[in-house]
Amino acid sequence: MLSQSLIEDVLTAALSTGGDFSEIFVEDRFTNNITLRSSKIETALSGRDFGVGIRVFKGLQSVYAYTTDFSKDGLVKAAKNAAQAIKGNSVISPAPFVQEAYGTLHPIQMMPQEVVKSRKIAVMKKASDTCKNYHSSISQVTVRLMDEEQNVLIANSEGKWAEDKRVRSRLAIQAVAVSGNKMETGFYGPGAHSGFEFIENLNLDLYANEAARIAVTLLDASPCPSGKFPVIIDNEFGGVIFHEACGHGLEATAVAKNNSVFANRIGERVAPEIVTYIDDGTIPNEWGSINIDDEGEKARKNVLIENGILTDYLIDKFNSRRMGMESTGSGRRQSFRFAPTSRMTNTYIAPGKSRPGEIIAATENGIYAKYMGGGQVNPATGDYNFAIMEAYEVKNGKIGKPLKGATLIGNGPKTLQLVDMVGNNLGHGAGMCGSLSGSIPVNVGQPMIRVSEITVGGTKGE
Amino acid sequence: MRIQEFQVKLFEEAAAIGFSDVEIYFERKEVFGCQIFKGVIDQYEIAEDGGVSFRGIIDGKMGYAYTEKLDDASIPFLLKNAKENAEFMPDEDVEEIFAGSSSYEDRHFFSTALNEVTIPEKIQFIKDVERELLAMDPRIVATDYCLIRTTSVTKSLSNNKGLSLSDQMNYLYVMVEAIVKDGEETKTSFEFKVTKDFQSLDAKEIAKRAAEEALSQLGSRNITSKDYPVLLRNDAAASLLATFSDNFSAENTQAGLSSLKNKLGKQIASSMVTIVDDPFLEEGLGSRNFDSEGVATEKLTLVESGVLQSFLHNLKTAKKDQTVTTGHAQKDSYKGAVKVGPSNLYILPLESSLEELVSTMAEGVLITSLSGLHSGANQVSGDFSVAANGFYVKDGKVHFPVNLMTIAGNFYQLLTDVEKIGSDLTFPLSPIGSPSLLIKSLSVTVE
Repeated sequence: MLSQSLIEDVLTAALSTGGDFSEIFVEDRFTNNITLRSSKIETALSGRDFGVGIRVFKGLQSVYAYTTDFSKDGLVKAAKNAAQAIKGNSVISPAPFVQEAYGTLHPIQMMPQEVVKSRKIAVMKKASDTCKNYHSSISQVTVRLMDEEQNVLIANSEGKWAEDKRVRSRLAIQAVAVSGNKMETGFYGPGAHSGFEFIENLNLDLYANEAARIAVTLLDASPCPSGKFPVIIDNEFGGVIFHEACGHGLEATAVAKNNSVFANRIGERVAPEIVTYIDDGTIPNEWGSINIDDEGEKARKNVLIENGILTDYLIDKFNSRRMGMESTGSGRRQSFRFAPTSRMTNTYIAPGKSRPGEIIAATENGIYAKYMGGGQVNPATGDYNFAIMEAYEVKNGKIGKPLKGATLIGNGPKTLQLVDMVGNNLGHGAGMCGSLSGSIPVNVGQPMIRVSEITVGGTKGE
Repeated sequence: MRIQEFQVKLFEEAAAIGFSDVEIYFERKEVFGCQIFKGVIDQYEIAEDGGVSFRGIIDGKMGYAYTEKLDDASIPFLLKNAKENAEFMPDEDVEEIFAGSSSYEDRHFFSTALNEVTIPEKIQFIKDVERELLAMDPRIVATDYCLIRTTSVTKSLSNNKGLSLSDQMNYLYVMVEAIVKDGEETKTSFEFKVTKDFQSLDAKEIAKRAAEEALSQLGSRNITSKDYPVLLRNDAAASLLATFSDNFSAENTQAGLSSLKNKLGKQIASSMVTIVDDPFLEEGLGSRNFDSEGVATEKLTLVESGVLQSFLHNLKTAKKDQTVTTGHAQKDSYKGAVKVGPSNLYILPLESSLEELVSTMAEGVLITSLSGLHSGANQVSGDFSVAANGFYVKDGKVHFPVNLMTIAGNFYQLLTDVEKIGSDLTFPLSPIGSPSLLIKSLSVTVE
């Protein structure tokens, strides 16, 4: 994307005031974003994002500059602007580049840029029709298709030269159901680190009907009761609870500054023995997967909690300095506009032994959360909240009537200790995760699990 | 390539392949940011960036494309994609390229004085905030996100119908999260200040507010979970209003996604509630002289004394509702399509201070922050159940902080249930603002 000599000049300029490490991130990204509402195209957007991020470290100081000006003068100026934040004389110069060879873990069959839009729209229309035809109460269907091809080049003063192409595709289906003056929505949004083949091979009957079914079910759902209950959380996107309650607290962003409830606890028991928590960027073609992270480190499988014992954190290059620990291939960013920091990829609870039916049958009076919405955590306190999209009451070991309007709140480390059953049906769900380095694609995942007690904030009162 | 040169070439080539009406929207941004941790610069950010959005009408339909790379190859890229995108648009409700309003306000949202504040001055200021904060109380153990940031944005819009407009804006914000610990208990607070007047900033004042906010939460206790009268402090009320503000967009009413559809002229809120949209607030983050279609902006009353007066419109939604645009066409950036969005939207403040509002409560809960609004609120139905921090109020006094809570209710019901409105209008790092609101009743669940 840019020549080696130009990049060497930029890295040298960035080190001119005494920095001990410099890095360049070049991004050239092509995106398509199409929205179909009520069977008509509402928006069709295409674009090209292009820019360069330059980073300099000196000890525990990190400086970041970015620009869309790709001329030599523009880039050297940006590097010098960054260098000005550091005071001193040049101490090192960049090492010769070594191009790292690695095969892709995520083969792509159909590049989105090469597929005509009519073919994409045909799939969207089919998804919309399927969803609309599910039930007469479905009043509105919105289908969004997003695809992107992100080309990146990462080079640094340690001689790293790594290039990668990330291709992602996602289809998001939202159904609105109406009955009288009640209006409810259902959503399903599968995504993958794949080309158009992922969209074309999607089982639309499953996904479109599921979005519709959720909306229709909620029309007849009762307000969720409030209070403390055993909560059964189903697989796939259910994993968002541990993404919030635990994953963010294991990111070096919070751990390095000692601002996480999990800081300085490696080797300690933080969960029951049935809990193993893994972040794995190498799973073929998954939504949160990568070949290399945004600092050029190869993706890997990091076991964060093994049989209840805290074993590792998610660490990026800068925080690895503060922590004195190696990077775990977890440096990620939304785009060249963000300095990378430690983030999750595909994070999940490893499958256990219980069958889902056994978990339900073993629960006398509780809540079954079939699908989750999103959530949020404060890593310093561990307090989290997240929304349930579709829930049911569980009475005497059986699933009862549907419930709506519930939020779960609690404290991550405490909730983790209360996991008392782990199912055998591991599944992953696609989501977008927002944090310091922007919004990035991640998978959350788990089998069905049960937590012996969570505070449920419903609309019904106690 | 310079933008002027790029525009000339782009318009020429667009005309050659059959575009009739064309528009170019250009955004340029300069950013400086600096974060301090334990007295030293931890993060430092300096940037210049921008991009170009093209839209044009071909065969009677509008197509869009954008690029951040201004080179020769980007011109055919924009035109090919815009043409292909236009092809699939429906034949009806076509967007238009606007020839211009009869006159425009010429308000200034760019402070030259702010632009002249040097980087060392900004760094020194944020270092002072952290130092003052850490010195305030031994229970303050650290800061997170102790940062200062300045942004300056230029937006230009030109088309082949003779319109050529430009707006410039800058602002500065300071943000600090204080972490306090007492025994096993950890609490955090989030304090911020947005301004164009650097000289008005007081590091000690910001530090003091952050410290007080965090320390006041220590010693939290349980209360019975039930329905309480709830006083939403200004920042919490504003965040709730922001979550549901799309319901005032004609785009949402026309798509059947807003319960305010068919409610024009009807009472939708307590008679105390007046909601306005004002594009000319000096310090407003949403201030603008023209909207994303180039229409002149003006002040608009959405709700007056509880009665719904207007929706927010752009040219397309106005045509559909047989009315005129209110100047609320909005693009997220050059990457987005023209949608509908507020400029600075807020609930009009009344007379009472927060303390006076508290003093009127026999028993209830004062909510100081909400979280999980992106997931715990259903925009369409208005139902919400979100995490909250706050205090127990009894006999007109704030008694003690309460453990993590959820508050649940329905936004439309809440508008009707507003019993008192404070004088303390605030815009929490957002173009949507509110004073404190006393709500008749919400369901409160305590952890």
